[in-house]
Amino acid sequence: MGAIDDGFEALLEPFYNGKKLTDPISTKEDKYQLLPAFLKVKGLVKQHIDSYNFFVQQEIKDIVKANRSIRSDQEKDFWLEFTDIRVGTPTRNDYSDFKARDEVTPMECRLRDMTYAAPVVVDITYSRDRKKIVRKDIPLCRIPVMLKSAKCGLSGANNAQMEIMNECPLDPGGYFIINGTEKVILIQEQLSKNRVIVEADEKTGGVSASVTSSTHERKSKTYVILKKDRIVLNHNVLVEPIPIVIVLKALGGLSDYEIMELVAGGDARYQDDFLINFDEATKAGVFTQQQALEYVGSRVKMGGPKKGRSMAAPRRSPVEEGLDALANLIIAHVTIEELDFYPKAIYIAMMVRRVLMASHNPKLVDDRDFVGNKRLELAGQLLSLLFEDLFKMFVASLKGNMEYFFKKPNRTSAYDPVGPISSQGQYITQGLNRAIQSGNWSVKRFNMNRAGVTHVLSRLSYIAALGMMTRISSQFEKTRKVSGPRALQPSQWGMLCPSDTPEGEACGLVKNLALMTHITTNAEEEPVKNWIFSLVPGVEPIRMFTGTEMHRAGSYIIHLNGTPFALTRHPKQFASKFKTMRRRGHISPFIGIHINEHFSAIHIATDEGRICRPYIIVKDGKSKLKPEHLRLLQLKKATFDDFLKRGVIEYLDVNEENDALIAIREEDINHSTTHMEIEPFTILGAVAGLIPFPHHNQSPRNTYQCAMGKQAIGAIAHNQFNRIDTLLYTLVYPQRPMVITKTIQLIHYDKLPAGQNATVVVMSYSGYDIEDALVLNKASCDRGFGRCQVFRKYTAELQQYPNGRKDRLGGIQKDEDGRPITKHSCLDKDGLAVVGYRVHSGETMVMKETPIDQTSTGIGSDRGSDDFRPAAINYRIPDPAYIDKVMVSNTEKNTAIVKVQTRQTRRPELGDKFSSRHGQKGVVGIIVDQEDMPFSDSGLVPDIIMNPHGFPSRMTVGKLFECLTGKASVVAGRRDYGFGDAFRSHPVEEMGKVLIDHGFSWEGKDYFTSGITGEPHEAYLFNGPIYYQRLKHMVQDKMHSRSRGPRAILTRQPTEGRSRDGGLRLGEMERDCLIAYGASQLLLERLMISSDGTQVDICERCGLLGYKGYCQTCKSTSQVTQMTMPYGAKLLVQELISMNVGVRMQLEDKFPHPR
Amino acid sequence: MDYDPMVMDDAEALGPVVKISQADSVRVKYELSNSDIAFANSLRRVMLAEIPTIAIDLVEIEENSSVLADEFIAHRLGLIPLNAEGVENLLYARECDCDGCCEHCSVKLMLHAKCTGDENMHVFARDLVPVGERVNQVLGTPVFSDAEGLGPLILKLRPGQEVKLECIAKKGIAKEHAKWAPSAAIGFEYDPHNKLRHIDLWYETDAKAEWPPSEYASWEEPPQEGEPFDYDAVPNRFYFNVESAGSLPPDTIVSEGIKVLQQKLAGLIHELAEGEGDGMNGDYNGPRSPEYGTGADGFGGYTTPFGNGGNQSSWGGAGGTTPYGTTPYGAGQSNWS
Repeated sequence: MGAIDDGFEALLEPFYNGKKLTDPISTKEDKYQLLPAFLKVKGLVKQHIDSYNFFVQQEIKDIVKANRSIRSDQEKDFWLEFTDIRVGTPTRNDYSDFKARDEVTPMECRLRDMTYAAPVVVDITYSRDRKKIVRKDIPLCRIPVMLKSAKCGLSGANNAQMEIMNECPLDPGGYFIINGTEKVILIQEQLSKNRVIVEADEKTGGVSASVTSSTHERKSKTYVILKKDRIVLNHNVLVEPIPIVIVLKALGGLSDYEIMELVAGGDARYQDDFLINFDEATKAGVFTQQQALEYVGSRVKMGGPKKGRSMAAPRRSPVEEGLDALANLIIAHVTIEELDFYPKAIYIAMMVRRVLMASHNPKLVDDRDFVGNKRLELAGQLLSLLFEDLFKMFVASLKGNMEYFFKKPNRTSAYDPVGPISSQGQYITQGLNRAIQSGNWSVKRFNMNRAGVTHVLSRLSYIAALGMMTRISSQFEKTRKVSGPRALQPSQWGMLCPSDTPEGEACGLVKNLALMTHITTNAEEEPVKNWIFSLVPGVEPIRMFTGTEMHRAGSYIIHLNGTPFALTRHPKQFASKFKTMRRRGHISPFIGIHINEHFSAIHIATDEGRICRPYIIVKDGKSKLKPEHLRLLQLKKATFDDFLKRGVIEYLDVNEENDALIAIREEDINHSTTHMEIEPFTILGAVAGLIPFPHHNQSPRNTYQCAMGKQAIGAIAHNQFNRIDTLLYTLVYPQRPMVITKTIQLIHYDKLPAGQNATVVVMSYSGYDIEDALVLNKASCDRGFGRCQVFRKYTAELQQYPNGRKDRLGGIQKDEDGRPITKHSCLDKDGLAVVGYRVHSGETMVMKETPIDQTSTGIGSDRGSDDFRPAAINYRIPDPAYIDKVMVSNTEKNTAIVKVQTRQTRRPELGDKFSSRHGQKGVVGIIVDQEDMPFSDSGLVPDIIMNPHGFPSRMTVGKLFECLTGKASVVAGRRDYGFGDAFRSHPVEEMGKVLIDHGFSWEGKDYFTSGITGEPHEAYLFNGPIYYQRLKHMVQDKMHSRSRGPRAILTRQPTEGRSRDGGLRLGEMERDCLIAYGASQLLLERLMISSDGTQVDICERCGLLGYKGYCQTCKSTSQVTQMTMPYGAKLLVQELISMNVGVRMQLEDKFPHPR
Repeated sequence: MDYDPMVMDDAEALGPVVKISQADSVRVKYELSNSDIAFANSLRRVMLAEIPTIAIDLVEIEENSSVLADEFIAHRLGLIPLNAEGVENLLYARECDCDGCCEHCSVKLMLHAKCTGDENMHVFARDLVPVGERVNQVLGTPVFSDAEGLGPLILKLRPGQEVKLECIAKKGIAKEHAKWAPSAAIGFEYDPHNKLRHIDLWYETDAKAEWPPSEYASWEEPPQEGEPFDYDAVPNRFYFNVESAGSLPPDTIVSEGIKVLQQKLAGLIHELAEGEGDGMNGDYNGPRSPEYGTGADGFGGYTTPFGNGGNQSSWGGAGGTTPYGTTPYGAGQSNWS
C-alpha cells in the first residue's frame, strides 16, 4: 500500500498544519488522524469495490459450483462439469495477434466508446468415450470490470502509473464503463432478508410477523397473522391462510403440549391466548401429522413454482405436496436436513410467540424504518443475482445444444463442448452489458424487475461524481405520501448523512452514506457456529431443547442470522467473550452480536449489506487509543487494520450500536462507556462535509447546499482535458476554499475545488440586489472571477451498411471562387473541423455523408445509386465556440468514430447563478464598475455585494463564521486558522482577537466609503472572504425568444422549448387572467392568430367540414361558408369523426350583417 | 453659463493643497486638503478607471500545444502589466488612421517558447519581447516587480509543448477593461476622528477599544472633551494611498489623474460654452433623449393616449370613432407633426 500516493500521505504527515514531530500528541486533539488512516485502507467508495471484489473472487465461484454439472438425458454416459471459473484482467475485445497490446485502459474505453470488460474463463471436465477429459481456460464470457477493483488495471497503481494511463489519481472508481459511458450501480436499500419483522395493523388491531426468505433458488414471504384472536400462517403458494396449529402439527411429531410449550413456554398469558388455536385444528378435523399434511397439501397452489417438474413426474398426493411445500417453500431459508422439521417448527413457533408478545405489549412491534432492519444491496450482489440467472440460462441452453447434438442418429465425431460454451457464453456478456447499460435488472427466478438501478455517472463536478458513489436509493414508491420512510431515523446516526438528501419527491428516500460507513460483505457461518459452542460452557444446540427449556427465564436463544441456533444461560458472558474473540481477530471484525433483552435473545449477524462503522473501544473508563498508537500511525509503522487487530478499534453495526454506550468526546467518558467516536463530524457525508460550520446553520440550508454543491462548476478531475465528455464545465481559476474542513482534505476537494474565494461585503446596494440577487464587481470579472469554460461533444459514427457501402467524410461545397461556402468554412480537407477554429451557429463541424443506397445487394442489376446524401453534424448553439479537439478512432465494431469537442469561455453575466456553501443561492443582478463600488479605507473593493436580507430568515450563521474565520486567516496569513469543522467549538473570540491585532474590528465589520459620493457609509459593513460556487445554470444556455418560427406538424401550433426555437406558452392560468380581464382581442391574437388559426370550410346544412367550398356530404356548394378556427380544434373534430363520434358545427352570426 | 475657474494665484488660501507623506516605487501616500469631497472622490475615481495605459488586447496564436486554451492564455496575457510610460504619445486604435494597428497606436510583442528539456518549463512575462517600431523604448515592455525580474508566470509547458504567439498591445482605460487599470488599490479616507459624524460608531462596550484608530488619526486634532458638534462642518482633508499596479509609477498616476480630470472638465466646459451661443438646440450631437427638441410648439413630442392634444376624451372623439381609431398612432390627429 505504501507505494500508492492517494493524497492521504500529506494528512498523515506529522508536520501537517504546522505540527512538528516533537509536538506532544493528545488523543483528544489528534484522534482524527485515524480518519485518513481509515480512508487510506477503505477509500471513499470502498463499499462498491469490496462488494464487486467479493463477487468476482468468491461468489462467482460459488454460483458456478452450485450449477456445475450438466448431464444429458439422451446420452446417459455423458457428463460435463465446470470445475473452476476465473475473471481475468480487462482486455480489448477486438484483440488480434498482430496487435501489440491486449490490456486496455479505462480512458481508451471512454474515448473509443468501448466496454471496460475482462474475459471470464472456465475449467471443465467432461467425458468422451468413457474417458475423463480436462480442458482449462475456456473463454466463457466477458464481464464489465469495476474501476479500481481488484481486476482493474488501476488497482494499486501509483500516481506515475495513473498518469501513463491518463487516469486521475483522485478518481474514486467504483463504476463501470459500458460503451464509453460511465455507469454507476446505485446502492439499493431493502428490508433485511431472513429476519422476522413484527408489525401491527392500526385499523384491525391485528398483529403479523413476516419473514422474507431468500435462498439461491427462490425468494418468498411467509406471514404469521393474528386476527380475531386466531393465528394463521400465510404464504404465496397457499390458497388460503392455514391455522397455525395445523402447520405446527404438520411439522412432525409434536404433541399439543409440545406445541403449546414451544410457543408460549411457561407463561400463562400466552398459553391462554394460544389455546383457542387448538380448537381451529380440531374443527378442521386435523389431529395427526398425516391429516395436517393433507390439509396443507390440498391448499397448495398447483403449477406456479414447479411447472417443469409436473410434466415429468406424475401428479403427487396432497401429503407429498404438503411435505414439499413445508420443506422447500415455506420459510425456505431454514433448510431441512434428513426430514428433521424441528428447527422449522421452532422458527414458526418463534414467529407465533413474537406475534403473541406484540399483541400483549404493542411496544414490541418492530420498526421497518430502523436502519438495523435494512440491508444495502451493492453492485456485487446485484451482479451476482444477474450472473446466476444468466449462468443458469447458459447451462440450460448449453444442455439444449448438447441434446440437439446427441439426437442426431449418426454422429460423425464426439461431442466437444468448447465451441458451444464460448458461443452460448456471449449471452451472458450481452445480458450483463444490457442490464448495466439500461439499468433494468430482471431476474426471472425471483420475479424481479427493477428499472433505474444504474445511472450515468454525473461528471458535472468532482463532488457530483463522489456524491453519486455514496448515494442510496430506496425501493419505496416516490408517490406514496408516507412520512415514515422519509423521516430522519435516530438509528441513522453516523451511518447515513442527515443532511444530504434531495428536496421534493425523492426527499428522504434517496440517502447518502456518511464518511466512515462501511457495508459488510457476506461472512461464512460455519466458523461462527463452531465458535458459538466453544466460547462458554453450557451452550447447546437449540435442537436439543423443548419449548419449556427454551422459554425458561434466564435462557437466551442464540440466533444466527435470525434463525434460532443455540441456547445459553449466560448471555452477557457469551457476548463479551464473543466480542473479545472478534477484537483479537479470531472472528471477522464485521460480524455483529447484540443482546435483545425483550425476547431473551442473542443475535449474531454475518450477512451482507449491514451498515457498520468503526469506533474506538473504551474499557474501564479509559480509551484504548493511546498517544503511542497515534505516534505509530504518524511514523507509518501502523495502519488502521493494525488497530483493528490490536483491539483499539472495532466496527459496530446498527444493532450492536444499541448495546453500546458511545461517548462523543473523550471528556464524556464515564465508567460505563464502552466506545468513543473517532470524530463526530463523520456523521456527515462527503458532500455535506464541504460546508464550514454546518452546526451553526439551520438544517435545511445544509441540505440545500448538498444539492447545490453538485452543480458547482470547478475542476472535475486531473484528466479533465483528456476526457471528451458530452458536457463539461470547468472553472478557469478554481481556488481552494479559505475556510476548509477536515472532510474537504479527506475527499481532496482542496485539490479539485469548485469555486472561488470572493471578497464579500454584506450591504444593500443599488436595488438590483433584492430577492437574493448579487452585485458583482466588473473589474473582478475582467480579472477572471467566475470565468468558466464549457466543452461540448459532438459524435459521428461512420457506419457500414450490409451492402458494403460506408458513410464517408468530405464533400465540402465550394462557391464560384473555389472557396468553401460559409457553412463549410471551418472544415479542413478531410471534412472535419479545424482545431482552434471559431464555429458559429449553423456551421458544419463534421461533413459526414451517407450513401443513398443502403439496401441493394449490388448483384446483377440490383444496384442502387452511387450518390451520397449529406448527414453533416452542425453547430446549433446561438453563441459561437472554438473547436477544442477532434478525435478520430475506431469502435469495437471496427467502424470509424469521430468526436469533436467545442469550447466556450464565459465570463459572468447578468442572471448567472452563484451560491455560497450555505444554501444561499442568488443570481447576478447587476455588474458594477469598480470605481462605483464601496471601498474600505485601505482601498479594498469587494468582488460581490450581498444583500443583508439574506440572513435573518435563513439563519446561516455558519456563513458569518466562514467570513470571519476567513478574514482572520487572510489578515494573519495563517492557513491553519481556516478550519470550520462540524461539531467543534468555533474560535470566534480568538479570530476576533486576531482581527484586532491586525487593525480590524473584532466583529469583522469595517468602515466603507461609497465609491459614488466618496462619503462613508453610515454603518460598518461586514466583509471578508466567502467561498462562492458558480452554478451550472447560465443565462446563455437559457436565453430564448421567438417572433416567428417552426410549428409542430400535427397540430400546427408553435413548437415548444428553446432547442426547437419554440414559442412561449400562454397557458391555462394566463388564459384565465385574460378572460377575467376581458382582453378578448388579445386572447384571440394569442390563441388563434399567433398560433394555429386555419381557414376551414363548413357546410351550414350538415355541420361537417367541407373542402374547397364544396360539401362532400351534401354534394353541394350552396351553404358552405368559411370560418377561422384553431387547427387543434379542427384536428379534434376529425379525430372524433374517425372514432365514429359525429361532430357537427352549427354556425350563427354573432353580428348579423345588416342587409 | 457662469463658470469661475479656480484662481490659482493664492494657492495657500484657495487651491487644493497636497502634502506627500510617503512615496516610493509602488505607492504614494498624500493628504489632499483645502478641497471638497466631490473633487477628492472624482480624483480617486479617475485614477482607478480613466487613466490611459497600455495592455495586450489582441493575441494571434500561431502554435499552442500547452494545456491551457487559447483564450485562457490571451486573458492572462492581457492582465500582464506593461510599462505605460509615454502612452500619451500613443493613439487610441480607434482614432488612428491605420488599418487595424500600426506603430502609432500599438506595440507588438512576441512570445515563443518551447520546452525542449525533461523538466516542465515555466514561461514568464520576461519571455514576452516587444518587436517592431515603438513610440519610445520602454512603452509596452512587461513590468517586473519581483526580485528575479521574471515577471508574472504566464503558463507552464511540459516537455515537447510549445507556444508561439504575437500580441498587440493597445492603449485603453480601465472603464473598458480592468487590465488597463494603472492602480491596484486606492486608499481614501477623511475625518479619522469622526468629528463630522458621517458614520455611526457601533460598539459593544467601548468604541475606542474596539475600533483601532486610523493611521491618519495623529494627523488631525482629536475632538476635545465636550466639544460642541459643528453641523455646518464639511470635510476638507483627504488621505490618499495610491498603489501602483506597475504600469505607471504612483506619482504619475496622481498627476495623470489630475490631467485626465482636467481634460474631462475642460471638455464639459467646452460643450457648455458652445451651447450658450445658439440656444438649447445647438449642434450638440452627443447622446440625448429622442424627444429632445422635437416640438417647438411647447408640446414636447410626448402624448398620452388620454390627452389627445385637446380636452376631449379619447373615448368620445368628435367623429364618434372607437378608441382604436383615435390612438396617437392612428389617423385624425391634427396636432401630430
